[in-house]
Amino acid sequence: MTATSVQAKLSPGLRARRASSNVLTYLLLALCSLFVFVPFAFMLSTSLKTEEQLFVWPIQWIPDPTAWENYSQAFVELGSIAPGLTFWRILSNTLFITILAMTAELIAVSLVAYGFARFRFPGRDKLFLVLLSTMMLPSIITLIPTFLIWRTLKLIDTYDPLTIGSWFGGGAWAVFMLRQFFLSIPKEMEEAAVIDGADTFQIYYKIMLPLVKPALLALGVLIFQANWNNFMGPLIYLNTTVKFPMVVALKFFQESLSHEAPKWHYMMAMSTVMAAPILALYFMAQKYFIEGLTVGAVKG
Amino acid sequence: MEVSAWETYLPTLLHWLATGGGIIALMLLLNKVLQMLGVKRETATGYALILPWILGLLIWNLYPFARSLYLSFTEYNIFQPPKWVGFQHYVTMFTKDTDFWPALRLTLLYAALNVPLGLAGALGVALLLNRDVKGIGIWRTVYYLPAVLPVVAVALLWRWMLSPTSGLINFVLRPIYQLLNVAPLQWFTEPGLVLPSFVIMGMWGIFGANAVILLAGLKNIPRHLYEVAELDGANGWQQFWNVTIPMLSSTMFYNLITGIIAALQIFTQAFFIPIPRRAGTFFNVLIYREAFQFRHMGYASALAWINLVVILAITLLVFRSSAAWVYYEGETK
Repeated sequence: MTATSVQAKLSPGLRARRASSNVLTYLLLALCSLFVFVPFAFMLSTSLKTEEQLFVWPIQWIPDPTAWENYSQAFVELGSIAPGLTFWRILSNTLFITILAMTAELIAVSLVAYGFARFRFPGRDKLFLVLLSTMMLPSIITLIPTFLIWRTLKLIDTYDPLTIGSWFGGGAWAVFMLRQFFLSIPKEMEEAAVIDGADTFQIYYKIMLPLVKPALLALGVLIFQANWNNFMGPLIYLNTTVKFPMVVALKFFQESLSHEAPKWHYMMAMSTVMAAPILALYFMAQKYFIEGLTVGAVKG
Repeated sequence: MEVSAWETYLPTLLHWLATGGGIIALMLLLNKVLQMLGVKRETATGYALILPWILGLLIWNLYPFARSLYLSFTEYNIFQPPKWVGFQHYVTMFTKDTDFWPALRLTLLYAALNVPLGLAGALGVALLLNRDVKGIGIWRTVYYLPAVLPVVAVALLWRWMLSPTSGLINFVLRPIYQLLNVAPLQWFTEPGLVLPSFVIMGMWGIFGANAVILLAGLKNIPRHLYEVAELDGANGWQQFWNVTIPMLSSTMFYNLITGIIAALQIFTQAFFIPIPRRAGTFFNVLIYREAFQFRHMGYASALAWINLVVILAITLLVFRSSAAWVYYEGETK
């Protein structure tokens, strides 16, 4: 049964109903996107207001005068209580953590997933089940002992706890996702390479990795996002203000300068700055964001 | 005194390179040793490849898991060695700690409201985005935006949106307040409104991952099922109940489980938005405070275990119920 044969059977009345339901679809789409966009617009417009304009009604969506200086002033104020914590310092702190953690996790995850997908060894399926069950373990359980490990190593207030753990196979979810991709590659590709005399590393590096490149990109984007947005880690492990990444710097601003009378214009400017790179990444690599999310979830 | 960026990065960079190099060296070593011991090549390489995860499981999962259980039976302030106190912490939280029950109640209620509403909303959005109309791709891009935003930014934004004196929501509602002659709602500040405020904020996220996953699930439903249903005279509503919902149930089940686990662990938003103490505290914020502000590592560990038990119990319940409502294609029972 093909779609066209059904279409042919539709009465004219039914077609008219389809058209009117399309109008309804557009209406609903527009209504929902209002719900998405208005808070965004509110964030942007607040970030460009002077302190007096914050409380003006009706709301000035495009503030006049436009306070572009909020974007620099917010960081100047922050620097006044946290010496050395400039915008560039915050950015480089954030990038340093994110890139190290992401690189390590991608390398480790791709190796582990390859092992689970392509090699037969005793206990493999049981171990994989253990891996899946660790996804259910709430991170709060391991948080305190993990903190104590880093404390014993005298590495509190360094970037080590935020980056080095990523070498250990990363998130179970990431392994699971990449394994699905490895499984979908036909086995003949490797067998041919083995006949040609390639060793395991060559097969992995020259054949498997290029084939799962889209999945690696998808994973990379999601891991980047997770680390960029990670709050609890830097909150617990970093004490010196100058070491703060974006997220914790924002929290510090809220608690110190913005505690009694919230400086919403500055906080929204900082939020925008924090969100901008992720939004840019999203628009560039949108396909990968979506792809990464759906693997494994559908088909359960 | 200022520390240059490089001074703070260099030690970590070196440790990071050493750890990575060390793990890869260990993998190569294991591969060699196992083969020398006469293990089949495929087996040896397999074990070597998953070594990073095995190490991670032992160091970052199993050991902390056991240590956390042990600590929950001790008094431990980091500076003195842990002192065994038996079940004292568990007794204290159930009988004496005035923050415990409100925290549990608030967190459970949040999950109970947020998860079903979020799932229903996400399903609605997914159905909408699955419509065959022009330019649907652009809408999909737009709808996912809130999920890309850092949670911290979302929390701040909604704290501002719902600000009682000058937030957008209360500005918009002002005519209604005047019409009904009531005082503006004190979002996030009045104990009774804390929960609704958090749920509203959570609803902004329905356009995110859940909707994307459900949409992919919708796309996976074979078209011919709808065609057959239509030929049998099923109307739109009947098709939805008898084709869409059963075919989507395994995807919804996945979303339900991950949603429950996430909601019961809400932290960042809860940490960023001050709420009155009378309204309770979210459970993970309570644990954070006990552990890292008061240095009650033992008591905080006990709280974390209660959190785990609650999550496991609820997840198990949902799993049990799933046989009744989740349909797996190709399942022969």
